[in-house]
Amino acid sequence: MSDTYEMTPLAHLYPGMVLADAVLDEHGHVLLAAGATLSEAAIVSLGRHAVGAVPVARAVPLSAPGDAEIQARIDHLFRHNDREDLGDWATGLLRRYVEDYRINGTRAPEVAS
Amino acid sequence: MSDAIHPLTREELMAGVDDLPSLPAVVMELLGSIEEEDLDIAVLSKKVASDPALMAKTLRLANSSAYGLQVKATTIQQATTFLGFEAMRKLIIAAALTGCFPAGRCPGFNDRAFWRHSIATAACARVLARRLRFNPDYAFTAGLLHGIGRLVLVSRFPERYQAVLSLRDKRDCELMDAERALLGLDHVEAGVALAEYWNFSDTMRQAIAYHRTPELPSAGFLATIVHVASAVVHALDLAGNPDELVPRVSAVAWTALGMSEEAWLQVFHETELQVDEMTAILVA
Repeated sequence: MSDTYEMTPLAHLYPGMVLADAVLDEHGHVLLAAGATLSEAAIVSLGRHAVGAVPVARAVPLSAPGDAEIQARIDHLFRHNDREDLGDWATGLLRRYVEDYRINGTRAPEVAS
Repeated sequence: MSDAIHPLTREELMAGVDDLPSLPAVVMELLGSIEEEDLDIAVLSKKVASDPALMAKTLRLANSSAYGLQVKATTIQQATTFLGFEAMRKLIIAAALTGCFPAGRCPGFNDRAFWRHSIATAACARVLARRLRFNPDYAFTAGLLHGIGRLVLVSRFPERYQAVLSLRDKRDCELMDAERALLGLDHVEAGVALAEYWNFSDTMRQAIAYHRTPELPSAGFLATIVHVASAVVHALDLAGNPDELVPRVSAVAWTALGMSEEAWLQVFHETELQVDEMTAILVA
């Protein structure tokens, strides 16, 4: 139940995120209502009211992300790793295994723990 | 913010550590005595039971699916009989630590993501240790504690740390590099200072000190496990950070674990299975 929203710091807010709960100013007045979709202007305004973090609804994907999306995310995570840099082979190998795990369907067999 | 550009002195860091809330006495005792195996279970149970919140959290962890108990434990003593002393020590430490630092003091610092990363690293380190026939309970605790110095910096120097976070965003560098650039020291040093202040065992202190430099001869195998576990957790994107970044993996550490791809994929899977449930219990 605590996982339906995430307290997200201002620096990590993006337009299009949806508020899980109302955001109040220091006097208890509603700045933004629950369910509001954040706009660029709304984020700036939160900053002016010195709001540190707001409860953002966790995105519930309508469908599982496609392979291209997953690959893009993995590329983002490994953005400091250069595939051509053989001196950094260990990071490169981890990257390849994560790709196999997430995209290429090389699922590990279930093991009893 | 005006003092954000001045480096932190060692004295300021130590004063910051001094001001931290103290851990429950029983946890201090458990952290300091991690190599001792002859602590009395009855005494331990009594001490934990004197702190109802700690007891409840510890029991929820012990009864979580990661431990697969057939019968639910209702007392610390019972859980210790089922799981063993080492496992219980680890769970009590985890339950106490996650409630010890105030959240939300430093805007821009995502406390929840921090704990998700720490808990996932603990889970992954435990999975790795079991495979490599290393003590899984040490590995779990070391994984949980490896980044604890960051909380010292965030909770004692929130304005300066906000500047660190901005610099990280601006340069898209590792947080550690931004820490060094602005504070003159990093979370590893802060973690070692805390380990001394809270009287962690030498084993834990060493793992905290060397988890970013596992190739150094004095680092030890626990630092190697934690180094790789942390990288795996970054790579599996388990913390919930939009700007997650996988740090460079030490080739020495990777080689030392000597695992096949098949084994790695199983480790990924087992780690993912445990993270959500543990996080829900520890940072509710």
